[in-house]
Amino acid sequence: MRVRRWASAVFITVWFLVLSGGIIGHALKMPVVGNVFGYFIVWDMFCGWQAYDNRTHMIGEDSDGNYYQIREPWGPFQPFNAVDRVNYDVSNYLATRHIRNVLRHSSHPPLDRIYVVQEIWGKQYNAPDHLWHRCFAEPRDKVSVFSLRAICAADGSPIESNPDWFLAQTLNTIADNPRLRLQAQAARPYYNTFFNPRAALGGAVDAPVFNPQGGVGLNTN
Amino acid sequence: MMGEKSKRSALMQQVQEFFYAEETPYGLALVRMILPAVALIPMFRRFPRVRELFSSDGAPQQLTELFGHGAVLPELPAVLASALYGLMLFALVSAIFGFRTRTSLLIGTPLYVYFNMLDSVGTMTKYTVIASHVLLILTISPCGAVWSIDGLLRRWREGRAAAIPPVFPVWPARLIQMLFAFVYFGAAITKVQTTAFFSGEQMRYWMFSDWNYPNPLGELVAMSPAILLASGYLTVVWEVSFPFLVWRPVGRFYSLGFGVVFHLLTIFLLGLYIFPFICIPCYLGYLMERDIVVLRGWLRRLRLPTGFVAAPRVGLARLIAARPAAVPLSLLWAGFAMLCTVAGAEADYRFDVYGIRTAGGPLPLKSMDPVVARTMINSQRSLREKDKFFSFNIGTRMMAGQLANAGDTFSIGETIIAQCNLNTPHEDLWVECVVEDEQRRVVDVAGQFVTRDLLFSNFPWKTCDRFIPGRYFFVLKSSGQEIARRAFTLTGEACQIPTGGLLTN
Repeated sequence: MRVRRWASAVFITVWFLVLSGGIIGHALKMPVVGNVFGYFIVWDMFCGWQAYDNRTHMIGEDSDGNYYQIREPWGPFQPFNAVDRVNYDVSNYLATRHIRNVLRHSSHPPLDRIYVVQEIWGKQYNAPDHLWHRCFAEPRDKVSVFSLRAICAADGSPIESNPDWFLAQTLNTIADNPRLRLQAQAARPYYNTFFNPRAALGGAVDAPVFNPQGGVGLNTN
Repeated sequence: MMGEKSKRSALMQQVQEFFYAEETPYGLALVRMILPAVALIPMFRRFPRVRELFSSDGAPQQLTELFGHGAVLPELPAVLASALYGLMLFALVSAIFGFRTRTSLLIGTPLYVYFNMLDSVGTMTKYTVIASHVLLILTISPCGAVWSIDGLLRRWREGRAAAIPPVFPVWPARLIQMLFAFVYFGAAITKVQTTAFFSGEQMRYWMFSDWNYPNPLGELVAMSPAILLASGYLTVVWEVSFPFLVWRPVGRFYSLGFGVVFHLLTIFLLGLYIFPFICIPCYLGYLMERDIVVLRGWLRRLRLPTGFVAAPRVGLARLIAARPAAVPLSLLWAGFAMLCTVAGAEADYRFDVYGIRTAGGPLPLKSMDPVVARTMINSQRSLREKDKFFSFNIGTRMMAGQLANAGDTFSIGETIIAQCNLNTPHEDLWVECVVEDEQRRVVDVAGQFVTRDLLFSNFPWKTCDRFIPGRYFFVLKSSGQEIARRAFTLTGEACQIPTGGLLTN
């Protein structure tokens, strides 16, 4: 009985400390909770949002120039509503596995390339008709933007990968400033002239550096 | 010195009382009966897809992979995964009825966590995290002691000796209660840290997304900034105050009552269909023995029939009790478990999720129109200027930066505010607002920089300056293009021109 009491006290204490750690770590944005364990103790429901809606399309191309939807022919699984599972993969980790799984279990000619395309549109176009007519005076002319996210080989492994549209758009808004672009260019040295204290001491050198005394030489890349 | 010591011991006494007071675990039993039932709804939906979502013959995406730890959990062959899935379903159903409760939860809980972690894309969510915590607590609790098949069998076996309900320390119930205090406090911190939560944009865009289930009421509310703001502030106040009030005699009614309303509203506003029904049953963990006594008294007074609730449990218990005496309960449970495990594997074969064994299987990929495909792949189209704007409205009153009363008729003398809401990310913009009269003659123009961090921009206009009653238009322009046009009518009488003489310099 006494052992049970002690065991329960230890469990309560550990459990309390762990959940408190989650709250403190989340509040102070400490990386210690940014892992799988942290996922179970951080309560960050609805922490992000986007003004544009997006869907992922995968398109296969064969050597004859024919195109195929890389979408489950047996019917995609829609976990929460009418949106395919692959769309909930915001980080695009699932793409390779998804492509492999669809190709492995379907009939199709040999494919050369698989294109992963992101479709984007303003979320206001999700409004139902009655709401659109009440709140928006303009005609409802939804036009999607497409962004090539990745190109994969026939086995799903990525050959080329691009940042997702949201990140690219954010970066473009910054790069749109000519002054910033000039400053960034000017701040980038043409020659690598970094001084490497470890190399200067005659220690092991990981990368060639400009160090006349050490005789490592000049890196002109 | 003595006072301090006695204070400390009084505090210890309170802590002891809080965690180790002995009561019959009715609240825990209620959570045990309802929570796994709700948690199983999405799991039953995924049963025909076990091969695809949770096995090495499909496309699972482990939670550990999202955090960069690689595939830590074993991905089992489809037959084995389906068999274990069947076992998990049986174990959790068995826990609902309280048949070999501890064993059921000891097997069902780890399998539930395992399968959820295997599909971080379409199965693992924060409600499964909450359910996992509660299932873990139920596993180590005496939740099967009452209102269970185990309890009934014990009572029938022990006769009069078991007439008094058993009592246990209340700490498992306290842990469930504390879990929700942590969840809500953490959620409040998230809201405080979230951009645009307190100006309503974040909720508006969530309500306009189709990632959850349909939410027609949410779409309607999304266009009412005043409701969004008020509900946002109310929610944060409730979440922060929850841990401080939920254990107070009166405060608990406010905290839990608000909580029930809040979670029910998330069904209609955000399209969350499972989350509320995971959280609300867990509130039953706040019911202590005295609450159950009071509730029973009310039910008795109301003469509501309650016997039917226990009927399935009693019926099953009778069937189990009628087994041959030589068959121990554990063997019976193991037999059922084995049956469900085999049935799981058999179901996988019969579901044939990929359609391999159907006529014409494996199924062919759907071909695409080459023009459409090439357009999607090579599209260089950039966003239209108008797509950078969410809405354009005019009104007279502001609330937390948002226009609170959109309208189209104003009196001369009022200050009209034209507001455009922008979709992010957008670049730094030069946005103009032009006022035109009915003949489309420009009456006035105002322009301003809308930097990339801004989500809305306001153009206030004093109607006394130069307007006379009549019909006008506000025209929103960006990059020289017309984005939106709103008509409005000015009523009343034109303002008197000040009679202070004419200033000539």
